[in-house]
Amino acid sequence: MTDTAFVEGIIRILFVVVIVAAAYIISTRNLLSLVSVYAIQSLTLVGIALALYSVEGSAVLLAIAVITFATKVLVIPYFIATIQERIRIKRDIEFHYLNPTTTLLLSMALMLVVYIALTRILPPTVGPSLFFFGAVIGISLMLMGMMVTFSRKKAITKVMGYLSMENGVLIFGMFVTELPFIIEFLIIIDLIILVLLTTILSVGIDTTLEEYHNRLHRFYLWEEKEDLS
Amino acid sequence: MILVAYILATVLAIVAILLCHTNRRMNAVTIVHGLGFGAITIAALLSGPVPITSFAFGSQFFFIDHLSIFEILIAVVIFTLSAVYAGGYVESLIATGELEKGSLRLFYASWSLLFLVIVLAFCSDNLALFWILAEMTTIISAMLIAVLSAKENIDAAIKYIFVASAAMLFSFVGFIFLFEVSRETIGQGTLNWTVLIQNASAFPAGLMIACFALVFIGFAAKSGIFPFHTWLPEAHAKAPSAVSALLSGVLLNVGIYAIIRMMALVHQTDAARIVSPFLMLFGILTIAIAAFSMLPQKNLKKLIAFSSIENMGVLLVGIAIATPVALFWVIFYIMAHAFTKAELFLSAGILHRQYHSKFSGDAPDEIRNVFRFQPLAAWGMIIGGLAIIGIPLSPIFLPKLFILLQLGAVSLWLLLVVLILLFIAASALGYFVIVSFTQGLSKEKPFEIEPYITPMGMKIPVIILILLIVALGIFFPSGEISFINQIVTELKF
Repeated sequence: MTDTAFVEGIIRILFVVVIVAAAYIISTRNLLSLVSVYAIQSLTLVGIALALYSVEGSAVLLAIAVITFATKVLVIPYFIATIQERIRIKRDIEFHYLNPTTTLLLSMALMLVVYIALTRILPPTVGPSLFFFGAVIGISLMLMGMMVTFSRKKAITKVMGYLSMENGVLIFGMFVTELPFIIEFLIIIDLIILVLLTTILSVGIDTTLEEYHNRLHRFYLWEEKEDLS
Repeated sequence: MILVAYILATVLAIVAILLCHTNRRMNAVTIVHGLGFGAITIAALLSGPVPITSFAFGSQFFFIDHLSIFEILIAVVIFTLSAVYAGGYVESLIATGELEKGSLRLFYASWSLLFLVIVLAFCSDNLALFWILAEMTTIISAMLIAVLSAKENIDAAIKYIFVASAAMLFSFVGFIFLFEVSRETIGQGTLNWTVLIQNASAFPAGLMIACFALVFIGFAAKSGIFPFHTWLPEAHAKAPSAVSALLSGVLLNVGIYAIIRMMALVHQTDAARIVSPFLMLFGILTIAIAAFSMLPQKNLKKLIAFSSIENMGVLLVGIAIATPVALFWVIFYIMAHAFTKAELFLSAGILHRQYHSKFSGDAPDEIRNVFRFQPLAAWGMIIGGLAIIGIPLSPIFLPKLFILLQLGAVSLWLLLVVLILLFIAASALGYFVIVSFTQGLSKEKPFEIEPYITPMGMKIPVIILILLIVALGIFFPSGEISFINQIVTELKF
């Protein structure tokens, strides 16, 4: 096994990357870079999973790393980027209730709340260790993603928020406990279907209806293929 | 075996649907599919001692107990009757151009798939697997809402997906907590409900509260509990009426089912003392929000959708009381509500075909001379409306009465508040029916209404459901009572 302290240091740096990426997703108005930032965030997750694997040596973590890389770094971002090209919307400047600055401040406050709440809930054995830190980051990431989902108007940005939430759940799951692999796998499948459906529907929201129907028919075949995989 | 039969039947149904070309044939396939599921479920019930835990494969992931069979049977009745209804309804949707012919296959295939996923969800022993299947029900039912070619449908579907899925992620975090709890108390991490319920009394209360609160967020969203109810009126009102019946009668049950199962776990620990008031609060808030939203409502389907929210609130109050008597009537209430709500939505569907505004789904329904044009739907609305309010002899009367009596034993003030809220909701429903059903043709602007000829296929399900509601309210066979009693004992209340 590799040096634990060194790996811990790396994981801490990766945590910072994840949070910075989340902050960028919250505040940016540029849709194109949103997808790449999401891909970077997922890649960081792969890094965390691999780092944990080097310490714990559990095969599930390796499998999670592989499947995350395949789906969240490659397939989903590629799919969303193609859809975005078709919609031809580059900027999302509409916000429902919160503007980016408020959201950023709010998310900092939320992280503090999560930290305090988790110190009370989690058993004291977990303590202020790396694993505790992972749980805090996971839940904070979820809440930040949720704010994106509910403060943006464009469906495609909502999808990004949801995906970022899901990354939070993954981090939380990795650090708090070890779920059976089959469950993780099914969740990924579920996620792919959800993303496919919502992005296809979001094309409908963001273009006129007639165009949408023409496009929908083109997508049907593709969607079915993905379902089978 | 049973599991294989369910999956095989659905695969056959979907293949048949993909091979068919006309609405009528695809519709026939879905009806047969519903009947087939009914036969399989009854065979499962008769074949051996329930709960069944040993399947041909993956026995640790699936099981069937009395509660599952109960929920599956409700789903079978509603799916089959709605499928019969959908035949005529879809025909008329195609005639008015609201549904494109190309989407027919997608519609019926999703219908069959939804049925399978719901049944599997009710059979899952593993809570994480249940979570995944419940999440799939959201996605597939959203597809059924979005299938109509209107932008507002897509809007409603997207709202539904985001509210429900985002909330469901919190549930998953709750399940991760539960896994960790079981690993610390049992020694080996598991999410199998049958194992958890046997060891639940040893779980630490503090963690169980956190667990329950997180899981509750997701399934409250699935069952339209305040403050996650916002998607429900939109989705139920915009969906085709046959689908609305499924959403209200079966899909809301998925959420309540999960809350009942979790409550069964929490009930055995000290956490119940904190969780019960918490559920009570949300239940009463839900009833309040629904009641006050029903008052100014001018759109029939939205009104019925809010009534669903109100009933889910009553169910939550019943679960919060958590005595065996209350739980018995909660289970009964689930069945009564499912049938009544399906009947209401199917009747509303006929009225919607006759009177709906061609311009917007949000516009108030202009119902005129209803007894001349659609007598059956009008009487369906009246009987269903009276039944959902819970007048004596309707199936909802006794459950509501006993839940309220039990609530009175907890606190008289709460009882008073709930009674007033229920009265407001009932009067909103009554007011709408009285005002709109007594409208004749206006004399200043006489306009011709083209009568919508309701096909037999749409009338029969409504008639069957009315008979079923009346029968449920009058007869209490001993088999039914012992069946529900068994559910309560299995849940260890």
